[in-house]
Order: sequence, then C-alpha cells, then structure tokens
Amino acid sequence: MTDDHTNEQPNDAIQDERIRSLAAGHYHAPDGSVPREAMWGQIAAARRAARAGVAPIAAVAPAAEVAEQSADVIPLDSRRRTRTIVVWRWSAAVAAGLLLAFLLGKYSGSFGPTSPASRQIAGNTPARTPSEHSRIDPPPSAPETPSPVPHDEPTRSSPQRSPATRPSTERFTPSAPMDVASADTAAAALYRAAAVQTLVQAEAVLTAYRGAESSTRDPQAMQQAARWARDVLSSTRLLIDSPAGRDPQMRALFTDLELVLAQIVQLSGTPLQDGERDLIDRAMRDRDLLPRLRSAVPAGSATS
Amino acid sequence: MDERELTARVKLGDEAAERALYDAHVDRVYWVAYRMSGRHDLAQDFTQDVFIRAFDRIADFRGDAPFGAWLHTITMSVVLNGLRKVKRFDQREAVLEEAGMVTSSVREAEPDLKERLAQAIDALPEGCRVTFLMHDVEGFTHEEIGAALGTTAGTSKAQLSRARAKLRIALADFAGDWIQ
Repeated sequence: MTDDHTNEQPNDAIQDERIRSLAAGHYHAPDGSVPREAMWGQIAAARRAARAGVAPIAAVAPAAEVAEQSADVIPLDSRRRTRTIVVWRWSAAVAAGLLLAFLLGKYSGSFGPTSPASRQIAGNTPARTPSEHSRIDPPPSAPETPSPVPHDEPTRSSPQRSPATRPSTERFTPSAPMDVASADTAAAALYRAAAVQTLVQAEAVLTAYRGAESSTRDPQAMQQAARWARDVLSSTRLLIDSPAGRDPQMRALFTDLELVLAQIVQLSGTPLQDGERDLIDRAMRDRDLLPRLRSAVPAGSATS
Repeated sequence: MDERELTARVKLGDEAAERALYDAHVDRVYWVAYRMSGRHDLAQDFTQDVFIRAFDRIADFRGDAPFGAWLHTITMSVVLNGLRKVKRFDQREAVLEEAGMVTSSVREAEPDLKERLAQAIDALPEGCRVTFLMHDVEGFTHEEIGAALGTTAGTSKAQLSRARAKLRIALADFAGDWIQ
C-alpha cells in the first residue's frame, strides 16, 4: 500500500492507514451470520431450472427491496413479480389455447370443416364421431357407412365403441397430427391476439407519453406513462421471443418498440433533459413508430 | 478434493461439487457484497446472482487463476451492476455535497468517529468509494479492480488517491489525535 503514497505527505500515510483500519473494522463490517442455506436454496433452484431449460425468473434473486426508498427507481422485485405474472399469464393463455385446440380438433369433424386440414379430411370422408377420428379411411372397396349423427348436433353423446366392437376392416392410427395442427392454429391465433393487444397498448402509451411530454410536461403524467410503458415493455419482450416474433415485420416493429419503451422507462421519475427528450422523439420519428403501430393493428382492435 | 477437480465436476453438472465450491467461497462473496452495499438483503441477492452466474459460466473458467479470483471478478461485476441498477450513484453524490459542507464544523455535534467515517465513505463518488473499499479494505489489486470496473489499473490508482484525499479532508478533525 505504501507504493500508493509516493506523492503524499508522511502524515497522510499515517492517516490513510488509520482510516483504512477503521473502515475495515467498522464500515459495513461483517455482522451476524451468512444465510447460507437460504441462498443455496435459491441458487440450487435456479440451477435446476437452468438445467431443465426453464428461465428461473422468480428464483434467481428474491430479496431485493432496493427501490422502495427512492421513488425514481423501479423496484427489482416488482419487476420480477411483473415478469412472473406476465409469464404465468402467457403460460395460462397458451395452455388454454392448447386445450381449446385439442377440443376443437377432437370435435371439429362433427361440426363440419373449420380448418384447411379438417376441410381436406372432410372433403374425403363423411362426418365422424370422435372415436372414428382415430381411424384411417377404409379402402375404396369397402366404403364406410356415413355416420347417422347429423352435422349440426354435438357428438359427445355418441357411444364410444370399444376396440372389440369395431368392424374388422378398421385400422387404427394416432390422431396426434390433426390435433397438433389444430393446436398450432389455435396457439398462433392466441399469439396474434396477444400481439395485437400489446400493440394497441403500446400505441396508447406512446400517445400518452407524447401528450404528457409535449403539452403539459406534467411529472406525474410522465411517471404514469412510464409505469404503463414498463408493463407494455415486458409484454413486448416476451412477444419478441414468442412465435409472434417470428414474423420479420412484426419482430422489427417489436424491437423498435422495445427500444423506445425502454428509453421512456429508463427516464421515468427524472425531469427529462432536452437531449433525452430529443432522443426519444427522434427514435419514434425515425422509425415511424406510431404510424407503423397503427397500421399493424387491425381496425376495431383498439376498442375490443 | 481440490478446487481444480471441483470445477471440473461442476462443468459436468455435479450439484454436490457446486455446493462444495459454494461453501468454500460464500462467506467471502457475501461479506464483500455487504461491504459494498451495506444491506443484508442486497448482499444476499448479489451473492445468489454471483454463484448462479459463476456456475452458468463455469465453462469459461480455464483454471489459469484460482477459482476464488475468478469468482471475485464476477462478484465485483454483479455488485457494481446491482448498485447501478438501484441508482445509488446520484444519492451518494448528493450526500457528498452535504458532507463536504459540514465536515469542518460538526465535530462537537457529531463526535462519533465511526459514524463520521461511514458518512464520509458513503459520500465518496461511487468510483472512488468502490476503489477504496476494494483496494484498501478488501485487498484487491489495482489490476483486478481495473478489470472489474472496465478501466485501467492507472485509473484505479487515481480513484484511490482521490478517495483517500477526500477521506482525509472529511476526517481532518481527528487527524491530530491519530498522528500523535
């Protein structure tokens, strides 16, 4: 340490050493015990999640309550909570979509063709009961008797025949391909709906930001816009990595949107300097963000 | 089992080896994080993050240096980024100005040296504070500090010099006692 005192007075070295020793002994000095097991629990959970390929959003760091002391800081655990909630919402939505898709796939035959896949199948064969979906078409020499169940009636009440009672000409094949196709269609529709909803919200956020920034420069309105932007930013980031983000045009829009929203969130709670305001305005203007948002949202979506 | 073997096992996904490395280093990491943040909840948060990152990136650890040195580089990075996230910088800058104004006149009102020392350290600019704590208190070298902060060893030396000068000024009232 003495090599750092070459330009200082001899007394400075004595003072420095005294300060160093006091700081080592008293400034945030170790007190109490290290919560080893509690931390290891979180670390192990995160590691197991990483090994399983699951993002350990809630498990990584549970303890930070950092920002409550400062109004201009986004609370870390609040961010985590928000992300966790959004992820759970997404999981629930996807699960519901998959279930819906499965049910649609299972019963669509009796309701008539609804998708290209089912239309193709329905064009070749008459309507079937659910149990019959598991069969492949019989050969032309042995035409299958059309189902007695009318097309406009649900087929849930149709009696399921056991394998023992099936005609000997029937062969079995897994019904998964058709279910998966329907599930994919339903999931894609859900992602599209989520994307549209996020874009509608984003448009509202940007409009609110511009209103708060340009006309009144009201700090509270700015903070409100920033809070709102934070929520939309989370959804936008999720959508970028979702199937909705596979579309190049949509992905570019989400990426530009993410940048602008992040800037708005980052500057929340602080009085905007002219340079910062210009930065956000320029980012919105250069990317034609609002016009692109409006054109990407189907007419009428904003009110739904 | 030595650390080289443990790190090799961690690379293969051995959770018991992860736990062994954790047990060997957690105290040091935790107390450095606490020293820098002054809060146990943050120290816990940062420590978890340090080990999760270290295990995630264990493939990058080549074994040229001790595992502890590599881990402490991650510690520095995690802690500093964490502190930046909570925007403590601006708060400390504000406190610095206040401390600078009151240091010469508050001895009678605030005679506790430890208290004054803590205030003076908190009031340092963040770069100076980090460098002072890491070098003078935790014993890191300027090269390690420079690497963790993304600066040079020279910058670290300059920051340390500034930190010490500011602390001497802030605690000038006590200097006479120390020198005697």
